[in-house]
Amino acid sequence: GPPRPCEAYRAEWELCRSTWHFLHHYYVYGQRPACQQWLRDLLNCRDWEQRRSAEAQRSLCESEQARVQARKHTLVWTLRQSPPADWHLPLPQEKDE
Amino acid sequence: MAGAPGGRAPGPAAGEPLPQRRDSGQGFPEQQSFLSSLFPRNRSCPLMLLKTLETNPYVKLLLDAMKHSGCAINKERHFSCEDCDGNVSGGFDSSTSQIRAANLSGDCSLISEIFRLRFGLKKHHQTCVRDRAVLSILAVRNISTELAQQAVDEVFESCFNDHEPFGRIPHDKTYARYARRDFQNRDRYYSNI
Repeated sequence: GPPRPCEAYRAEWELCRSTWHFLHHYYVYGQRPACQQWLRDLLNCRDWEQRRSAEAQRSLCESEQARVQARKHTLVWTLRQSPPADWHLPLPQEKDE
Repeated sequence: MAGAPGGRAPGPAAGEPLPQRRDSGQGFPEQQSFLSSLFPRNRSCPLMLLKTLETNPYVKLLLDAMKHSGCAINKERHFSCEDCDGNVSGGFDSSTSQIRAANLSGDCSLISEIFRLRFGLKKHHQTCVRDRAVLSILAVRNISTELAQQAVDEVFESCFNDHEPFGRIPHDKTYARYARRDFQNRDRYYSNI
């Protein structure tokens, strides 16, 4: 089925189109937000769910993959492979008490 | 806030306390000082911490993400109530952590900046993030402003666009709630795109 429940696309579309979001987006990026894609995704989501449309599935997946790509950024840090060994241990001062 | 989840911050290790008194905020103080008796009980740091952990969507998402990465939070072990100078947001000493903190915490929201009497609209958020990051670095490192600015500039592009674990800049609690919903849905999401 679709990657998100269809109501999620509606919620994002409505949030995107709100005056408050327009203000915040302009404040951060200096331009107006683009909201039409959320509406397209909402319609494709419904088509996929209700009519099992292959075309709608393809469009929605493409849209979401583009979102994932857009969020990528160069990493500054080397990522950890595991948490620090002492994460759960008591603090050094506590051990002496 | 502890350092960003999933990254190795070149600063104090997670759980390492910043240097100061250990007698503040560990449960209710035995004797109320005159000043703290002026403030009602529900303002005490331990109570505010508890309330935040239970109700704040930003914090709940961060803690979910950390737990998912193997760093489950224990509120006795991983938090400390400390007095701090109003100028600082958190005690990170890495420019990357400062940029993320200023960017994602609401510290640079339009309202916060207006309250500081700093007015600017178009792209002002980024100016604020840079400035707050520099100020926070200067508060914990004995270096020149120029050097602090340089450190911020070097990593700004990457760190400003790192919205983990929110997936967006959470301008207010609604955005944080949506972000948490997306995080909880991530397995379904990645297996269906």
